[in-house]
Amino acid sequence: MTRRSLLAGSIGLAAGAATAAPFLLPKYDRVRRPARSGVAIVRADEYSERLEGALMSALRLFDLKMSGKSVLLKPNIVDFVPGLGINTHPLLVAAAAECFRRLGARSVIVAEGPGYQRDTQLVLFESGFQDELAKQHIPFVDLNRDELVKIKLCANYTGLGHLFLPRTVLSHDFVVSMPKVKTHHWSGVTLSMKNMFGVVPGTKYGWPKNILHWSGIQQSILDVCATVPIHFVIADGIVAMEGNGPLAGTSRPLHSIVLSDDPVAADGTCARLMGFKPERIPHISEAAKFLGNASTKLIDQLAGQVTAPDIPFKVVPEFEHLRAS
Amino acid sequence: MIDMARRTELKNALIKQELSGGGWSYGSSVRQAALEPTCLSLLALRWDSSPTRVRSVKFLLALQNPNGSWPAFSGDDSEGSGLTALAVIALINNGEMALQTERGVEWLVRTNGRESHWLWRWKFETTDTHVRFDPKKFGWPWQPGTCSWVIPTAFSMIALKQAFVCCKPDRVNLRIRRGEEMLLDRACPGGGWNAGNGVVYGVPLTPHLDATATALLALGGEQSNGAIASGLDWLERRAKTCAAPWSLAWSILALDAYGRPVEGLLARLCTLSDKGLLANSATLAAMILAIDCLVQGNVFKVIA
Repeated sequence: MTRRSLLAGSIGLAAGAATAAPFLLPKYDRVRRPARSGVAIVRADEYSERLEGALMSALRLFDLKMSGKSVLLKPNIVDFVPGLGINTHPLLVAAAAECFRRLGARSVIVAEGPGYQRDTQLVLFESGFQDELAKQHIPFVDLNRDELVKIKLCANYTGLGHLFLPRTVLSHDFVVSMPKVKTHHWSGVTLSMKNMFGVVPGTKYGWPKNILHWSGIQQSILDVCATVPIHFVIADGIVAMEGNGPLAGTSRPLHSIVLSDDPVAADGTCARLMGFKPERIPHISEAAKFLGNASTKLIDQLAGQVTAPDIPFKVVPEFEHLRAS
Repeated sequence: MIDMARRTELKNALIKQELSGGGWSYGSSVRQAALEPTCLSLLALRWDSSPTRVRSVKFLLALQNPNGSWPAFSGDDSEGSGLTALAVIALINNGEMALQTERGVEWLVRTNGRESHWLWRWKFETTDTHVRFDPKKFGWPWQPGTCSWVIPTAFSMIALKQAFVCCKPDRVNLRIRRGEEMLLDRACPGGGWNAGNGVVYGVPLTPHLDATATALLALGGEQSNGAIASGLDWLERRAKTCAAPWSLAWSILALDAYGRPVEGLLARLCTLSDKGLLANSATLAAMILAIDCLVQGNVFKVIA
């Protein structure tokens, strides 16, 4: 080997490394995955005032230190179509608010920025949220119209670099994602992580928040969830949705509320309950590298059992591969 | 019968919510001025001689981006908001046909939905066909670099129609025609409009009151067709059961523009009140504009 060939080889190697490095480097700033995660599945057959007791028993299985904390409950409120369970049920949200108050939280609010219906007050009124929140004296913040702060994203799957996010979300100690368990025609599923699209403000990004679609829905979920931590999940799977979700699917009773201290574990569990393989859902499998645990080996099942349904949830044709069978 | 006392009450509440440096935020607990409540408030106060209006017109002019657009809120990036058209409408109706308004109009004329590019049009025509729409018929996006949607398209059409009452240049005419085609293409099968997805995976989606009303206002003066007629019918039916002031106010503005009776809806709008409502400047302003359409004229009524 001559010195010339050695030099040429070294330059080639350096150039190759420089080109490949961006693809090999992780797209997140740090690993925040816990060593183990807890999940509890509560059986519930209907929405009623009795949910609070069941929820409280399940929350006590987690070692939550709520004393003095400000809690933000983030339900999934998209639109209202009579007879179709599109939104997280208001009775479950009210029950969660009361539970966190009893656990010692300094304050509890409900906050959401509907991604489709611009008239937030209309959807709150028609979905029953307005009455329930007023009855329980729970404040509501419209995240579409809150004060906005420019925030550098803690992951770079989209290349967006930063997003404007609502000050209310950033200033709360404990964010609880409360999704409705649904299939989704663009992302496969919409669970606790996809639910966080609701913190991205319509004032800046519109109705729908189309920039998140153009940047890649799976990628946007990862960037948003890396930047706005979800501290706890209470997923409404009492009546879920299958097929052409999130707006035009079919109601499907799942009789379950899924609780977890880890959004990735929660979403992996919900996916299994829907009859899907979580590792086939890109944002769950990628989030399992740095945000939380999707593997059952790393999840402590605190209550209930994960039982796949005999017939997996229906999906649009593009997501047939998610079904476990 | 218009409840003038109620109108005065709403107007006073709106003036009270003006931010100290001019402009309005959405809610009284938010101190960051936003484009939509500022523009709607200026429209609601357009006949007002108070310092509030003068100060906030100045504020709006100062908020303009170097490229002629307006940001969505104070502190936003400078690429431009899909509600830039509202700033143009507010300035025109406040007698500010100045260079800055013209620059806003220019920005509107050169801004379009991303699907207007041949590459994306090809994608939406061949591989990405789950949402039923014709990408050749494009309007305006919420943000540059994204697709056209109903609300920014409708406001942009209203702004261009108001900016060029007569003698529209060809390029303006073309944009208005494209916008009109896009709105008609995106209508929901049963009448009305939502954000812009009428049919997804073969399933018709539900229309929304405010999107339907804004689209109908933008199509004002156009030759009546099936989409306009069914949109009006749907709006008239749906507004009867609407208890949310924002949607009800927009419904009144659209129905009035087409000569449909609105007295009953106005009477109901005047009875709607709660503390939460009075905290939202954009809703307050929309209510005043709706009440005023029988008193001072409909600010969004346009001719072809």
